[in-house]
Amino acid sequence: MSSEVGQQHPLTLYFWIWGLLFVVSAGSYATDYMDAGLLRWALILIFMFVKAGYIVAIFMHLKYERLALIYALLLPPGVIVLLVGLMYMESDYTWLTRIVFFGAEVSPERLPLPGTHH
Amino acid sequence: MAQAAQAETEVTGLATIAKDWSSDVTTFKGVPWGKAMMWIFLLSDTFIFSIFLTAYMTVRTTTAEAWPNASEVFSLTMFGVPVPLLLIAIMTFDLITSSGTMALAVNYGYRRDKRRAVRFMYLTAFFGAVFVGMQAFEWTKLISEGVRPFENPWGAPQFGSCFFMITGFHGLHVSAGVAYLIIIARRISKGRYDNTNFEIVEITGLYWHFVDLVWVFIFAFFYLW
Amino acid sequence: MAQAEIPYQEAIPLHDPHTWITKYWFSQDHKVIAVQYGITAIAVGLVALVLSWIMRTQIGFPGLFDWIDPELYYQSVTMHGMIMVIYLLTAFLLGSFGNYLVPLMLGARDMVFPFVNMISYHVYLASVIILMLGYVPGMEGPTGAGWTLYPPQAILTGTPGADWGILTMLASLAVFIVAFTMGGLNYITTILQARTRGMTMMRMPLSIWGIGMATVLGLLAFPALFVSAIMMTLDNVLGTSFFMPAINSLEIGEDYAGGSPLLFQHLFWFFGHPEVYIVALPAFGVVSDLISVHARKNIFGYRLMVWAIVAIGGLSFIVWAHHMYVAGMHPYFGFFFATTTLIIAVPTAIKVYNWTLTLWRANIRFTVPMLFAIAFVITFVVGGLTGLFLGNVIVDVPLSDTYFVVAHFHMVMGVAPILVIFGGIYHWYPKITGRMLNDTIGLWHFWITFIGTYAIYFPMHFLAIPRRYYQYDIGESTILTPSMEILNVSITLTAYVVGIAQFLFIYNLIVSYRKGREAGDNPWEANSLEWCTPQTPPVHGNWGERLPTVHRWAYDYSVPGQERDFIPQDVPREAQA
Repeated sequence: MSSEVGQQHPLTLYFWIWGLLFVVSAGSYATDYMDAGLLRWALILIFMFVKAGYIVAIFMHLKYERLALIYALLLPPGVIVLLVGLMYMESDYTWLTRIVFFGAEVSPERLPLPGTHH
Repeated sequence: MAQAAQAETEVTGLATIAKDWSSDVTTFKGVPWGKAMMWIFLLSDTFIFSIFLTAYMTVRTTTAEAWPNASEVFSLTMFGVPVPLLLIAIMTFDLITSSGTMALAVNYGYRRDKRRAVRFMYLTAFFGAVFVGMQAFEWTKLISEGVRPFENPWGAPQFGSCFFMITGFHGLHVSAGVAYLIIIARRISKGRYDNTNFEIVEITGLYWHFVDLVWVFIFAFFYLW
Repeated sequence: MAQAEIPYQEAIPLHDPHTWITKYWFSQDHKVIAVQYGITAIAVGLVALVLSWIMRTQIGFPGLFDWIDPELYYQSVTMHGMIMVIYLLTAFLLGSFGNYLVPLMLGARDMVFPFVNMISYHVYLASVIILMLGYVPGMEGPTGAGWTLYPPQAILTGTPGADWGILTMLASLAVFIVAFTMGGLNYITTILQARTRGMTMMRMPLSIWGIGMATVLGLLAFPALFVSAIMMTLDNVLGTSFFMPAINSLEIGEDYAGGSPLLFQHLFWFFGHPEVYIVALPAFGVVSDLISVHARKNIFGYRLMVWAIVAIGGLSFIVWAHHMYVAGMHPYFGFFFATTTLIIAVPTAIKVYNWTLTLWRANIRFTVPMLFAIAFVITFVVGGLTGLFLGNVIVDVPLSDTYFVVAHFHMVMGVAPILVIFGGIYHWYPKITGRMLNDTIGLWHFWITFIGTYAIYFPMHFLAIPRRYYQYDIGESTILTPSMEILNVSITLTAYVVGIAQFLFIYNLIVSYRKGREAGDNPWEANSLEWCTPQTPPVHGNWGERLPTVHRWAYDYSVPGQERDFIPQDVPREAQA
């Protein structure tokens, strides 16, 4: 492993990744011109994770660290995934109660209400 | 001793995890104290930003009012044509550029090329400062259009709250990073780290790349959603 | 590679103190910082003790004193809770025990970044001072929102301290988190990267496992509190509506719309539940060591104890909403969180069994620290069992916000960790000062505290009244039966006695510092490295020229065929007779 005297990599590696990051960012930006929908969301997330992955793996050298460190850093954010998932359910439920019990006006982007379309 | 015997049987793959975690002295082999500490700090900071973004998602989904269209709000008019998210895109590319220069600084640091490392650190700090400047411009523009933390002309008041809070907290990180870069670069050129491997450049770099990393998520979730 | 790092540690340049100020105030020695944390935490804990007297006086003798008005009552409830949980328990177990034990038990010179460690204490001190600014005369006093600080009421007119009080509280919490992060990064990096030769993770004393895991929990859970403190501050100062829904009642809170109070509860408990284990895990670890040392027996099931700590740490992040069964959250959540909550009882029960089995047929020395350790196990079992009731949605609903809950959490995360803190102080005081604490005072302190806390909290389980009520009278009538009133009075009187007993303890700490019996290097005949230092109390740098080498775990007690009934960790295998 190279980690003993720090991280020694050829400069070309960095230039490649640098270029790729520009391309991926451009792709990410281009999704703004698409119509809303599942495809757009998927692309946003894919570009986001690809870009984040390159930064963490190459620029932050995580790919070249030993597995002990990699797993110690990548496992704990799993609880964040749980938090995000549950909070999404929760916020949707809160929103629904506001519509149902408080008669809040529904913004058009949120129509149709869940369970009402045929 | 047991360790010497262990070192002779080379292990690979997942088994290295067990080996490293069951060894003495250090768990993360070859990782200097400062770098280990920075990684763990960044893990903690990841939780801070994740929770900011989770809170943003929750209030956005909870509120019954319409959410302003970020694509329109953050558009700039160029030659009479509104270009959506133009400034944000420039900021994104600026931050990537700074990440690239930082990566070069780290590389030159480990090559013991002090002069180039310091130079690229200053360049990184410059791009960081430009980013903060553009953010200040963006804030000014939105404030002049009537966006406040508690209200805005287009819809749910939480839009402004989340915008100022999240970009503000990220901007603080960038500003702190610029200061951190300048301080460390000065110390390097004064010869304070001459007896080390210059892992300090990598530690500083970890922080800087993290700031870029956070922006990737903010860009996707705040500006593109 | 690993071997190359040890000489660096041995040659590590220490910041040598020259003046009184650098030696005792801005010291970078982890042992001094530990004592600083300890003294500050005890001092602020005494404030919380007096606040609990105010509360109990009102409940036991309502209307006896005019000056205990509803505002003061609620402010005392809030400040008592927050101080005890954060500024006493967390700060003491991690700031004081963590700082003192981590480098010593691991055979390190100091924390990896002593300067950051020193700053950590001073930032903690600042957070305590900011908290106390809530009491500045002329302002409205500290917040009375309850320690959970739920919005909307926490920042609405009508709640005591809705402006100044809540601001000082939130600012103080944010500053505390900064302090904790600086300390915590040090503890965890030291544990992971600066152990001495031969000290593998599986040879670490359980105290270090507990402190280390709690630190990880802190670093990952405090962000949620930090973020919610920022958001609530913005709601209060800038008028944002993160947590504030539309409210139109008596012209209060008209400016808010669309926020989610439930979001705050989720974020708070995403921090709050791991916080329970931030307090409990170091206590688990320390008590394991106390039991093993004073029972002269190895800890039963060391590996299981370690994995239980890890499992509890992981699970503690996915149980948070069991604090919110009556909050009106998503109806599916109850099942999920009840299940995870009951699962966490498994590793916890493993620990209790292992403590009990360590005591089984052991050569127990009933020293004062051992008494506290045994008292911890008993108290923890009682408090933990009521947790099983509260973890089930259907049982929790009628029990919510009653004194059953008060009894539960005081037993399990109030009294139990405090007993461990006392036990730990009695145990390590000889190492810190070189002198023993007085046993007679110690016994008095123990029995009054132990029996007293039972007399206070056990009856509360049957006192089926709502909590956080200023008074239970409505006009001429009352919702209390005469037997409840008697219980309330007796609880209050016991609380006075138990409180006063704590001053015995402080008297003991002060007097024994000068007059205590000389302790020697290893008065308890314990194995772990902190008892192997060349000097007692250990000097700056701890170990002299060379760091110790570890050859065994910390639990070689009563090994058959040995002259002595203990073998310290730095004794080589070959030297074993």
